[in-house]
Amino acid sequence: MTNSFQSKTFNFFQKNNIKNFIGVPDSTLKEFISFGLKNKKIIVTTREEEAIGIATGMCLSGSNSLVFMQNAGFANSLSTITSLVKLYQIPLIFLIGWRGYLKDDAPEHTMIGKVQPDLIKTIELPSKIITANNWEKNCIWALKKIKNNSPCALIVKREFHD
Amino acid sequence: MIRKEAMKIVLEKITSSPIISANGFMSRDLFELKEKNSNFYMIGSMGLASSIGLGVALKNPRKKIFIFDGDGNILMNLGSLVTIGNLQPKNLVHIIFDNNSHESTGGQPTASNKISIAEFGKICNYKVFTVTNQNSLRNCLKKLQKINQSIMIVIKISKSDVKSKRVSLKPELIKYRFMKSLIEKQ
Repeated sequence: MTNSFQSKTFNFFQKNNIKNFIGVPDSTLKEFISFGLKNKKIIVTTREEEAIGIATGMCLSGSNSLVFMQNAGFANSLSTITSLVKLYQIPLIFLIGWRGYLKDDAPEHTMIGKVQPDLIKTIELPSKIITANNWEKNCIWALKKIKNNSPCALIVKREFHD
Repeated sequence: MIRKEAMKIVLEKITSSPIISANGFMSRDLFELKEKNSNFYMIGSMGLASSIGLGVALKNPRKKIFIFDGDGNILMNLGSLVTIGNLQPKNLVHIIFDNNSHESTGGQPTASNKISIAEFGKICNYKVFTVTNQNSLRNCLKKLQKINQSIMIVIKISKSDVKSKRVSLKPELIKYRFMKSLIEKQ
């Protein structure tokens, strides 16, 4: 499948004043991350919580930031999202690759993939699924959210096997 | 020397520089000793003070950024040392108040007496100081300005029963004051 909307998404955010792209690599988001690495705009961290911390420091310095991760890493980050990002209303954009979206994805992703939509709703993080058809509209939605001081998430479904 | 005494000595050297303080008693001591707009009291997200400090340091290269961390906190996020060592901000001062315990949760032990946090600092490209008394801490603080590298100061302190009051500011206020202080001239 083609993922070319991922580089467009990166470009779009860059042009719209998102200065920092920080996170832990995920194969679903490979194209987004590779594109950013080529442009020397990516910081790869050791864990997702760390990426959120660094992005928070940058946001506090008036520099808009996006944090990317796989949904396994989103699960790692729940406490950081509730006790830092939501608590202080840090306007971060999360970009999350959704493993376990396909029922026959690798077994380690099955359970977290199943609860992903409920989990994100439960912690009251507004989110949209982005695809090749709607990415621009939903990226504009995300920019509006952070402008209003609200963190938000964009989800990319894993619709292929490797 | 207990944490509050050590922190008081460090704060004599910090006039208006930004400080990111770890959750628990660390932020409470700072709140009681030197309340100022450029303090970011991290009241939750244990382990992440150094990551937040790294983000602030990278975006404010002309300001010295201080991180007040504990041994329990940094041991939860050792990866942060790797990322700091990779990016090497020259304006980051990482102070670790090491009492070999999780004092805020009742004094349970950490492994910092057997595994040296200072050694982690060295392999992660920090200039590292370890101090054990008030005089050596004062001497170490005098050297800071001249060092053009990420700095780690491990202050060996004792556990204590002294308890500072809670940080009574609303988190959003802590955020706005801190953000404003970063754009004001020092």
